[in-house]
Amino acid sequence: MADNTILAMCGKGGVGKTSVSALMVKLLARENNRKILAIDADPAVGLATALGVQVKKTVDDIRKGFIARIQKGESPGGQETSKLLDYEVFDALEEREGFALLAIGRPEDEGCFCKVNSLLKDIISDLSGNFDIVLIDGEAGIEQINRRVMKTVDHLVIVSDTSAKGIGVANTIADVANEKKAVDFTSMGLVLNRVRDESEVEDIRKRTALDIYGSILEDNDIRDFDFRGKSLTGLPGTSPTLKVIENILTRINVLR
Amino acid sequence: MELFEPIIESVKRFVEDHDRKKAWTAREEITWPEGGNRNIVLREDMGLELGSPETQSLSYILWTENLDLVQDGLITLVGPDLSQSYGKSLPFAKIVLVGVSGFTEENTYERYRDMELIRYQLDLKGFMLRAVSQYMREWCRISSEAVIKGFSAQVLGSVLMRLFRDKSYVQAFEVIFLTSGTDDVNTLKEITEPSRKIIAAMNKMAEEFDFDCSSCEYQDVCNEADALKGMRDTLRNKSREVGHG
Repeated sequence: MADNTILAMCGKGGVGKTSVSALMVKLLARENNRKILAIDADPAVGLATALGVQVKKTVDDIRKGFIARIQKGESPGGQETSKLLDYEVFDALEEREGFALLAIGRPEDEGCFCKVNSLLKDIISDLSGNFDIVLIDGEAGIEQINRRVMKTVDHLVIVSDTSAKGIGVANTIADVANEKKAVDFTSMGLVLNRVRDESEVEDIRKRTALDIYGSILEDNDIRDFDFRGKSLTGLPGTSPTLKVIENILTRINVLR
Repeated sequence: MELFEPIIESVKRFVEDHDRKKAWTAREEITWPEGGNRNIVLREDMGLELGSPETQSLSYILWTENLDLVQDGLITLVGPDLSQSYGKSLPFAKIVLVGVSGFTEENTYERYRDMELIRYQLDLKGFMLRAVSQYMREWCRISSEAVIKGFSAQVLGSVLMRLFRDKSYVQAFEVIFLTSGTDDVNTLKEITEPSRKIIAAMNKMAEEFDFDCSSCEYQDVCNEADALKGMRDTLRNKSREVGHG
């Protein structure tokens, strides 16, 4: 498989992780010479909404449909299973200008269908290999990224607001990540969101060993877009938040 | 072993009677750059789409030991050629006819699976294929760049021919592509319906080790095809040997 760059976004719920992910996708999609895959691994499919994408089918829908067929005795068996799931996953891909999106959907429920889950993970991994940049918007912890999407990523981007709780979760995620049991990664850093001023950043720097990739000031435009349920792809190019995110992506060598 | 002969004859009659057919000879020297297994074609790069889930699609491999039924190297296209369909999403059918030798009750299923996998070996720059054998569907996308550079039915047919001819048991290869319309794909679906049942019966025998014919939905299919009955008996004996019942 060809070289590509994989970013995994994580952090406590409600810190603006999905907004940051959506704006990253928006910026990356502007460079139209690269293929971008956004993976929405949040059960609430928030990234899809933020990108203005209506998801018709999730990976979990495929999984459930397949399991229902197995239970009805319709399993195609062997290699056919993999090809069938691959077809369905590609069909679930939502293609938009500059990027494609795959929604994972809800986590697995009752029953163990490890083979199906493992096949789906392999298929997502193979599919990702066809894209230049893959961005995974995950749930709070990195364990979910490993369990439901993939084990190896390039950049682990932890998003947090300035709350003690948010920074605490960020530090915990970093500790788990450093044990290298949950995911393998090359670099890890923190994006601070909804920052009031530089003094807050300095204060947080004393409370975390994480490299701070950038800090985003409170942004009324984003709040307004969120409030109205508008896609963040419509945020004007002059937005200061976009500029910060552009700098972050440049810093980690994802944006040229 | 006779399985598909009447179906092959019906398919060929349908194609011969169609007024929108063109034909080429597959040529060994026709090549196409490899895609390095990075063959996703996204909509924004797409020049042409064939057999997407939103439209009709049909794909079969039909084999016979009667080499008179397979015109070796013949590529037939019913409907507009790929290069003339830029920007479109068309219904699609692909019927590969293979002249074979040495097929027995013991090796037929294994060789069928072997031929089924050939399409996944296609690694052509700007050509994407997703397929579900179970539903006989094939979904292809060809990039704008590939269409502009001349990717055609003749290119695809020639590359396929090379892959099939690599198999020692393949003596002749012919392929029919159809892009003319949904009605034509549906007609081909009706013509080839007995093949679907034959293949489904083979899959069931090989994968489920279920030889209770009285409760099998393919009982009538096997009753009409001696070759299937022979395969079933061979598999049943093998199954007994390894203790499946």
